[in-house]
Amino acid sequence: MTPTPVRAQLAGRGRTPLNQALFTQLAFSGLAVAILVGLAAWASIAKSAPPLDDDRARRILGEEFPGKTLDGLWVAVDGMGALAKSGGMALVLCRLGDGFVARQIPWAQALAASFKDGRISIDLTDVAAPRAVIALPSWPPKGPQKNLAA
Amino acid sequence: MKSFDPVTLATPLFILTVILEIVLARFRVVKANYETKDTAASLVMGLFSTLSSLPVAGLVVAAGLWAYQHRLFTISMGSPVAWVAIFFLEDVTYYWFHRLSHERRFWWASHVNHHSSQHYNLSTALRQTWTGGIAGTWLLWIPLTLLGFPPAMVAIEKGISLVYQYWIHTEAIRRMPRWFEAVFNTPSHHRVHHARNPRYLDRNYAGILIIWDRMFGTFQPELDEEACRYGLVHNLGTFNPLRVAFHEWIGIAQDIVRSPRHILGWMFGPPGWSPDGSRDTSASLKAAWAERQTAPPERESALVP
Repeated sequence: MTPTPVRAQLAGRGRTPLNQALFTQLAFSGLAVAILVGLAAWASIAKSAPPLDDDRARRILGEEFPGKTLDGLWVAVDGMGALAKSGGMALVLCRLGDGFVARQIPWAQALAASFKDGRISIDLTDVAAPRAVIALPSWPPKGPQKNLAA
Repeated sequence: MKSFDPVTLATPLFILTVILEIVLARFRVVKANYETKDTAASLVMGLFSTLSSLPVAGLVVAAGLWAYQHRLFTISMGSPVAWVAIFFLEDVTYYWFHRLSHERRFWWASHVNHHSSQHYNLSTALRQTWTGGIAGTWLLWIPLTLLGFPPAMVAIEKGISLVYQYWIHTEAIRRMPRWFEAVFNTPSHHRVHHARNPRYLDRNYAGILIIWDRMFGTFQPELDEEACRYGLVHNLGTFNPLRVAFHEWIGIAQDIVRSPRHILGWMFGPPGWSPDGSRDTSASLKAAWAERQTAPPERESALVP
């Protein structure tokens, strides 16, 4: 008796038309994805994302955390992130691609962040954004914090 | 009989139009931003969304066939009136599916990945769910089959709706003619839907026809004075597709483990719900935004500039 495609599949004898079609479709789709990603890289049409300075960090923090006052602001030396104190909370800003990701955590959690090789690594306790790494000259801040909200 | 799948048929069109949008944006003919890793994440999500639906495909088909065996009426696929009817019925079903997918966390967990890009371009349209089958939202279409529409007819109409919704994921088209904007979902209406500005949250759930949003009070036009900022209220800190696909499910599980007695709220409350109200929901963000609009100027001046 000639095995049917289903029997052949169950017996592991070669590819059936169904899984062959699926495999072919997946392979071509994968190739198309690679081409499109390559094209996007070639085009260089990401949003303009200059490094953060004080003004830009304040503006983005204002959009992300409207109504929050800033008691202190530390912008990363490479402009790729920023950290602000707002009452008992730390407002964290971190670059991702050509955009930014913002999170709010207790200030004590930010103070406890590890500092190594000129970078603080902050545990954001969020599966969607587990960690923020920000390049700062030192951490935690020494002495009285200057009031930047004024 | 050969199967007719609008999405499969339209796939070459998807690829060609993404190429076109990128090239035209490169030469500044149209407005579009593509970030390489973001594009890769969107396309990989799209690529594997088809595969991820396979494990429950049998169940979905079986449920559809069972419902059709217990149908109230027999509706012919050859009837033009039936196609007009399924067009409207499928589209209103999509509206409620989509609204549910935004307003209840269990279904948001499946849908959130589609909104997780900070970009709005044709590749964003392809950032499809991997967990839609598990979320069970396909059950919402079963009543159409129980009514008497053949499962194939429902599937085709769902495919047509999905293909229609592809082209509206673009900033290249600013506005369509006024009559079109009044009746159909358009790039402008759908930009609002993908925006994270409080004013725009949880608006414009339409599939093909925007009339449902107008009827059910969820319509919000795009305003020239408020540009859309795309993505999530709390944007993802990664492009990893696994994290894109599963982060909200993991978040639900973590919350349930932390506080099991609030399981119903964690699962079926609005996204951002928490027992003590310490997290942001769309409603609380909108309320805070509305309050700021009426705040006296001297109070505003104390805020972050």
